[in-house]
Formats: sequence, C-alpha cells, structure tokens
Amino acid sequence: MRTTLLTSAALVFAVASPAFAQTITVWDWKSGDPVATSYFQQAKTEFEAAHPGVTINYVMQPNDQYYTILGTALASGAGPDVFLLNGGAQARARFEALTDVTALGENLVGTEEFANEDGTLHALPITMQGFIVYYNKQRYAEAGLDPENPPQTWEELVAACEAITETGNVPCFSMGNREGFGGEFFLSSVAASSLTAEQHDAFANGELKWSSPEIMEILQAWVDTQDMGWYRQGANSTAKFMDEYEQFMRGDAANTIGLLSDVAHWKQFDDFLGAENVGVFRHPAPSLADGEVKIPVAGGIGYGVNNAGANVELATAFVEHLASAGPIQTFVNDAGVVPANTTVDTSSLSSPSVVAILEWLEPYGAPMAHSNTTADELSEWHRQSQLLLNGDVTVEEAAARMDEVQAQAHSGN
Amino acid sequence: MVSANASTAEPMGKRSKRAAPTMAGSKAERRFAFLFVMPAVLLVLVFRIIPLIWGFFLSLTDWRGLGEANFIGIGNYQQMVGDPNFQASMVNTFVLLATLPIWIMLPMLLAILIHQGVPGGKLFRAVYFFPAVLSSVIVGSIFNVVLRYDGSFNALLGMFGINAVDWLGDSNTALFSLIGVQLWATFGMSLLIFLAGLSTVPKEMLEAARLDGAKLWQIWVFVIIPSLRPIIEFVAVVTTIGVLTNMFGLIYVLTAGGPGTATTLPEFLIWLEQGRLNRPGYAAAISMVLFAFMAGIAYLQIRIMSRNANL
Repeated sequence: MRTTLLTSAALVFAVASPAFAQTITVWDWKSGDPVATSYFQQAKTEFEAAHPGVTINYVMQPNDQYYTILGTALASGAGPDVFLLNGGAQARARFEALTDVTALGENLVGTEEFANEDGTLHALPITMQGFIVYYNKQRYAEAGLDPENPPQTWEELVAACEAITETGNVPCFSMGNREGFGGEFFLSSVAASSLTAEQHDAFANGELKWSSPEIMEILQAWVDTQDMGWYRQGANSTAKFMDEYEQFMRGDAANTIGLLSDVAHWKQFDDFLGAENVGVFRHPAPSLADGEVKIPVAGGIGYGVNNAGANVELATAFVEHLASAGPIQTFVNDAGVVPANTTVDTSSLSSPSVVAILEWLEPYGAPMAHSNTTADELSEWHRQSQLLLNGDVTVEEAAARMDEVQAQAHSGN
Repeated sequence: MVSANASTAEPMGKRSKRAAPTMAGSKAERRFAFLFVMPAVLLVLVFRIIPLIWGFFLSLTDWRGLGEANFIGIGNYQQMVGDPNFQASMVNTFVLLATLPIWIMLPMLLAILIHQGVPGGKLFRAVYFFPAVLSSVIVGSIFNVVLRYDGSFNALLGMFGINAVDWLGDSNTALFSLIGVQLWATFGMSLLIFLAGLSTVPKEMLEAARLDGAKLWQIWVFVIIPSLRPIIEFVAVVTTIGVLTNMFGLIYVLTAGGPGTATTLPEFLIWLEQGRLNRPGYAAAISMVLFAFMAGIAYLQIRIMSRNANL
C-alpha cells in the first residue's frame, strides 16, 4: 500500500512538475553588457512574474565564438530553448532549427532579415541595424568646412576629404579592415544608393554578378578612396571593433561609418565627443540609382525558438515578450537602440544625431547589400577588400573571384 | 598444485631468468598488466581514435551542421583541390616549414652559449623562457600594439630613418611577422629542452676534446651537436606539430587570416569553414588532410634523423 502511494505521488509529481518548475535557457552575446542589462532584467522579471514556476536563464556566450558554439550545440541536439541571432546570412543558415513565429510579427519591421523566401518568419527582430556616416564637427571646422553642412553628394564628399587630408592632422575616415568589416560596411553604404530595389533583389539571388557595372563601380570606389588617401595606413591591420571607433572617439579621424544600434553608434560617440560635436550624414555614392542618397537599414538582432527545445510553447511566449513594447522601451531608453517594434516610443532619444537618423529611416531606408549575400561571398569579400586596399589584385580580378564564389554559393555546393 | 597465480609470488630475479625477454610473465600477469593499461587505452580510444574515425566519415558528407548529412564520397577532397583558400593555406604551411631550421638552430645555439657559461646565463634562461608561459591571446595583444602601423616597432625604426611598414596588414610581411612573434613566444621551451640535453653530454668528452687542442667551434660541431642529435630530432618533430597546430590564437588576434589569405593556415581555415561558414563536412576533410600531412612530415623527420644517426 505504502509503495503504491509513493509510486502514485512520484507519478503525480513527475507529471505536474513541469508546471511548477521550468527553465527557459536563452543564449546571446549581450546579456552581460551593462547598457543592455536593464532590458534583459525587465524581460525576465516580468515574464517570471506572469508565469509562476518559470525561470529564465540567460547564458551569455563570447561574441566572436557565438556561432561556432551555437552550431555545435544545435548539431548535437543540446541547443538552448531560445537564441539571439544576427539578421541575414547567420539567421538564414539556422532557419532549419527555428520554429515558425510568423503569427507574432505584427508591429515589427526588419522582419525580412529573419524570414525565408515564402515569408515565414523564424525569429523576431528586436532592433534595427544600419550604417550611417558619423563625423566630427571640430575636424570639419579645422579643415575649413562648414560643420553644419556635411557632404550631400559623392563630389562633395571627395572635396571634403581632400580638405581634411590636406590639413595633415587626421585621416578623412577612420577605417578598420583587419577582419574585412571595413569593406563590408563600405559595400552596403554605397550599394544602398547605387542599386535599385530590383538590383538589390538580383544581387541577393545571385543574378546580379559582382562583375556587373553596378557592383564594379562600388569596388572601384573602394580602391579610389584608398588612392585618394581617405584612410590612414594600416587599415588592414586595424580592427573595426573597436580600434577604428576608438580612433574616431579620440578625435583622430574626421568620419567613420558607424552603426545605428547598439554599439559604435551615436550614443557612444556623443559620450566621448559631446553630442554637439557629432554629426551624421548618409554615405553618398558615385552614382545614384534613383536620385536619392540612402542608408542601408535592416533588422538587426532577433530572437528565435529552437524547434528541438523541450518547452517550445513557453519559449515562444518569452520570445514574444522579448520583442514586445515594454522591455524594448527600456532597451531604447537605456541603450539607445533603434527598435524594430513600431509601437515603441522613441521620443526619449534626443541626440541631434539619432533624431536625424530616425527621420531618415522611412524615406531613405534601403536594403543592406552585404547581409543579403551568402556567407561564402561575404567571407571572400573580406579577403578581396583587403587585397584591393593593398593593391595586390585589380578590381577586375577581385570581381572575377567574387563571381566564382557567388556562382558556387548559389549552386548549392 | 601449482596455480597460475603462483608465479606472481616468485621473486623477480628468479622469474626473470626463466621468462623470455619479449613476453614477460604468465597470462594472469598480462591480464593484470592490461588492467593498468586499460584506462589509458580507453581514454585514447574515446577521445582520440573514435573522434578521428568519426571525423573521417564526416569528411565524406556535405553536412552543414543542421539536418541530414548526405554521403558525397571524396567530394570534399575534390573541392579542396580547386579551392584557392586551401591552396593558399598549404603554400603558407610550406613557407612556415621552410623556416624550421631557425626554430631549431636559434634555441640550440643559445642553449649552448648558456651551457658554456656566458655571464648572466641564468638570467637569460629565465628571460627567454618567460614568453612560453603566456597565452597566445596575451602575446597577440602585446604584439598588436608593437607591430601596428603606428606602433612602437615602427616608432623605433623611425628613429633610424626607416620608413614605417604595416607589418600585419601588408601581404608580403604579415606571415613573417606572425612567424617572428610565434618564435619569440615559444623558443624558450625548446631552449630548456636543449639545456636538459646538454647536461647529459659527458664532461669528460668535452675535456678530452679541449686537451686534444680542439677549438671552440670544433667542440660545438664535432662533439656537442652530434651528442644532441636525439634532442634535435625531438625538437624538430614537436616544433613542426606546434607551428602547424598552435598558431590559431595568434592568427585570430593579430591578422584574422589576412590580408587576403596571407596568414591563413589550414587550422584557421578549418575554424572558418566550420564556425563561420557552417560546413563541418568540408572542415573535417581539411582536418584529415592536415592530420595526414603532419603525420607524414613527422615520420619523414624521424626517418631522416634516424638514418643520419646510423651513419
């Protein structure tokens, strides 16, 4: 009798225990960042209060090893319930491991970076990401330029860089291309204005070749800017994160191609240079596809649910909460991110730089070319951009190699 | 009745007289000995042999980390042949191997000098060995500051009127810069091994050479270096394996494999293919080639050294 009772109690406990104690494991590379702590903590506190017995366990992985660790964990079936992803190639490579969260995409923008071709959404973006040129007004004034009227066209940018270079004090652009990120940011910044929407799609599909006149023009511009002395010697041995940005924040460069959120952005630069000394402009291109200078914008980072997880339903609810207006409002207020959730109030962002950026997002937003390429193309562009800067290859040779990689990547091999 | 175990109780000296030199002890003794060896065998099997076999089978698939792994035979190996990045990594490997004499000669010569009693020898030994205790990430961080374009090394050269060089960002200098840093960081260990080897050279032999009127260089060339032959062999094999498999940290921190593929070695490419490009199958194939290459080089080195020793 006693045995029967004990067995029954054990069975009841085994069945009921998930309702009492469940842990949702969340992987990211941000939860330990002091500026993001309040967002993560708020999301956890609110969700745990609304779901008694549930514990949210954030596990921060090293940023530079994140996808290696995540890939190994997913491959062995030991992945977390929820994980953070960069939009674009890194997200696409993991769609197979993610549940369908299309139904939760209402009020969110930047979802294209986390959706497959038929529109199925596999992760919910929490931020928007993009590239903009930040400039140091003091350096502009020293070069005899009007600090309140930054370059609007390619010709004006060339002239401004010439004036800045002639002072001999600082390079026109702070540039870090050790990992190839300098070339990556330049590609997207120029392509935003020089490609039409159709060409962006064709480039993403592998139909617009790297050796096409449109892309060749961007590669040539990359070489020309080097030849015109825009960058300090040593760009290929300077890390973009954070050597390039530290150089800019020290005032040792006039311009830098920075991010919208949530590092290497206006908030960080304002803190070092003073908001009154930081300006922004949209990166001009040698030719404009539809007469406007645009900025590359896309979904930045987003959360997906592991379809092999033990608590998919609960994990999905938590992902929805992570992307909801409440916690994201805190993320906006404290870290200065540009939210993917359109219901979030961004009026707390009062820096002149971010005010300008927010005004430009809608009318001037364009696809982010580099994140629409395949991972193989991007990896090869990192290499070729370095060789171009060093003069080790010609634009034609680089484009031909990129064509090979593009063709192979899109053939599925 | 004499049990099988009885022999284990026999005095060692008595038993050794009876036992064949190649097959010591009875079946029970061998079983007992096997128990001692088992943990090591299991560890080697579980953590070395099985992963190696699994890696080989993985290299025959197109697995991309998720979903099904399709068997593609030698497809990955065929792709490798036409892959410019893999080709570049192998060229870099051969350049690295061509510098091996420096990796062996430098610590050997310094060890001989210290052994000969140069003033401050103990201090030199400590200073040379010091970088060997630093992790490659720390070494990389130090040399990031030293070797960058506006770094201290170029500042030093500038004092002599020499133009600055982008040591880590120029395709012609990046690999040699890495080799120099790795050599600086690791030769202290080889030096200690040589010093240990030198302590085994009989003093009487050195004394006899001196009494016979041998000059210092003759003592080095005809007495000391031949005595160090087994140590040279050991250092050569260990250094070869070391430079081919332990430079990842430095590459990662200092150059990220660039510019282009100038500092991409196979191990860095393996990491790139597996971690960044989600191609564990292809990465496994490169691993297999690197494994076979290193095994081949080590085997050749041992054969050449052994043959020379018999001359």
